[in-house]
Amino acid sequence: MKFKKMMFTVLAISSLLALGACSAPGHKDQDTAVYDANGEAAGPAATGAAADSANFGDNGDDTLAQRTYYFEFDKSDIRDEDKPAISANADYLAAHPDAKITLEGHTDPRGSREYNVALGERRANAVADFLKAKGVNASQIRVVSYGAEQLGAPGHTEADFKMDRRAIIVYSKK
Amino acid sequence: MRALLTIFITVLLVCFSGSSAAMLSMELTRGISSAMPIAISPFVLEGAAPSQDIASILSNDLKNSGRFNIASGSPDEKVVGKVSAVGGGRYHVSFQLIETARARSTVLLDKQYTVPDSAMRALAHHISDAIYQKLMGVRGIFSTRLAYIVVEGVGHAARYTLEVSDQDGYNPQPLLQSSDPIMSPAWSPDGRKIAYVSFERHHASIYIEEVATGSRHLVSEFIGINSAPAWSPDGRKLAIVLSKTGSPNIYMMDLGSRQLTPLTRESSINTEPSWSPNGRKLLFTSNRGGAPQIYELDLATKAVSRLTYQGHYNARASYTADGRHIAMLNQDSGFFNIGILDLDTGVFRILTSSSGSDNESPSIAPNGSMVLFGTLYNGHSVLGMVATDGSVQVRLPARNGEVQDPAWSPFLS
Repeated sequence: MKFKKMMFTVLAISSLLALGACSAPGHKDQDTAVYDANGEAAGPAATGAAADSANFGDNGDDTLAQRTYYFEFDKSDIRDEDKPAISANADYLAAHPDAKITLEGHTDPRGSREYNVALGERRANAVADFLKAKGVNASQIRVVSYGAEQLGAPGHTEADFKMDRRAIIVYSKK
Repeated sequence: MRALLTIFITVLLVCFSGSSAAMLSMELTRGISSAMPIAISPFVLEGAAPSQDIASILSNDLKNSGRFNIASGSPDEKVVGKVSAVGGGRYHVSFQLIETARARSTVLLDKQYTVPDSAMRALAHHISDAIYQKLMGVRGIFSTRLAYIVVEGVGHAARYTLEVSDQDGYNPQPLLQSSDPIMSPAWSPDGRKIAYVSFERHHASIYIEEVATGSRHLVSEFIGINSAPAWSPDGRKLAIVLSKTGSPNIYMMDLGSRQLTPLTRESSINTEPSWSPNGRKLLFTSNRGGAPQIYELDLATKAVSRLTYQGHYNARASYTADGRHIAMLNQDSGFFNIGILDLDTGVFRILTSSSGSDNESPSIAPNGSMVLFGTLYNGHSVLGMVATDGSVQVRLPARNGEVQDPAWSPFLS
């Protein structure tokens, strides 16, 4: 009884997390980017978000649903706390060789725009290298750096900048 | 490989309607106490009035240069003029620049023109250029233009527009609109084309677009980064940044043959190439030493030397027209500022120390007098200008949207 209740709580929280992830600004971009990027007739972003929840959030595997990873200023080192989620996505990709992702790299708005494009690519490549080391085929990964041109949070506080410095896994095909 | 595919697209020209509305407006925020007093009398009108008031355009131009103080008394320098309607929508315009010293008047300039009403604003800037050159000994920049990116909306709803306007913000002309980012506009040396990076189709590609017609073609869409286009002074080559072999490195593309020559081969970040005025050297940003700093590459000897040591972050450098200074983005601690380094003496100075916000994308006026850059004002991205001696500051707030990533045109005539 107690176990069942606990499972229910875990599932509920996972679902909420997944839903929340879908409606957070950064993730909204991500879902949209999927369908725009491929030009597939996959329907509006809302459909994509629902499919995400159905595929991942509802089965309770929230590490797989964590697809935005954050970085320090002028750095491209993956944080230890993001490794389980990246690993979960690596396992999924390795098990689904037809699945494809775009890895987006982003920076905060400070500094030079073109240098930030390079830095964003470093971040996306860091995640790509991690995935490849876990057995993901390079042909499943496409990298694009937006530098500081698509911020995660508008605003100019350190809290905003933290949300900006990120790499995002965007599934284009599952 | 479709990297060299050339496509011509008629690009959206939304407000090419001859309106002279300003997207940006200019505010002088810091002038110099030694500014030269000058009186500009209203031009005497004969017949129907033209659409533009020449005297007020001259006043704004000269005032916003920071070098002049528009005086109402009887200073040594004064401008008088006349505008006569001559029929068919054309006007005869004449002006004199008169210097009065020790009770003797000397006519320094005496010129006349016949122009259609549609050219009146351009003529006024041309007259400002002539006055500036006569009194300052340096060519004026009042007939030059700016390119910049306007961003309206945030996140998913953001719209990006590459736009050009007159140097004072008038006559905005959109060249490209996109729901994906546009960045790094770069004027060709003849001012007729702009190279830029567009993320349309969710991939960074470099395009070249003709300003007058809006026709454009794709020049680079290699896998990875396609970034930071910079025209050689002869307009025949484009220095670009590609990461097709792994790390971002600088390449030279011959625009005739489309042949690529790698200029750097590093595992670090190498970006933001910028040509010396004589085309023999390139500045670029590299973090090969750990943090981003400015390096100079001698194209003949391939020798590379580091130029910046002040601050832990220096990037986006470009030479002044005389090749003796470089302007750059600099951070020591705190805000990102625009700095200028004298290559002869090694003296470095920060030009935007009082801005109280981060600054970005410095671009030097073709006469070397001012640096255009992006900054923040009231929480919005706006353009600013600062004199290369730090004496004058001008802000160009946008009526709507965020304005960023500016590039100052070369002289256009």
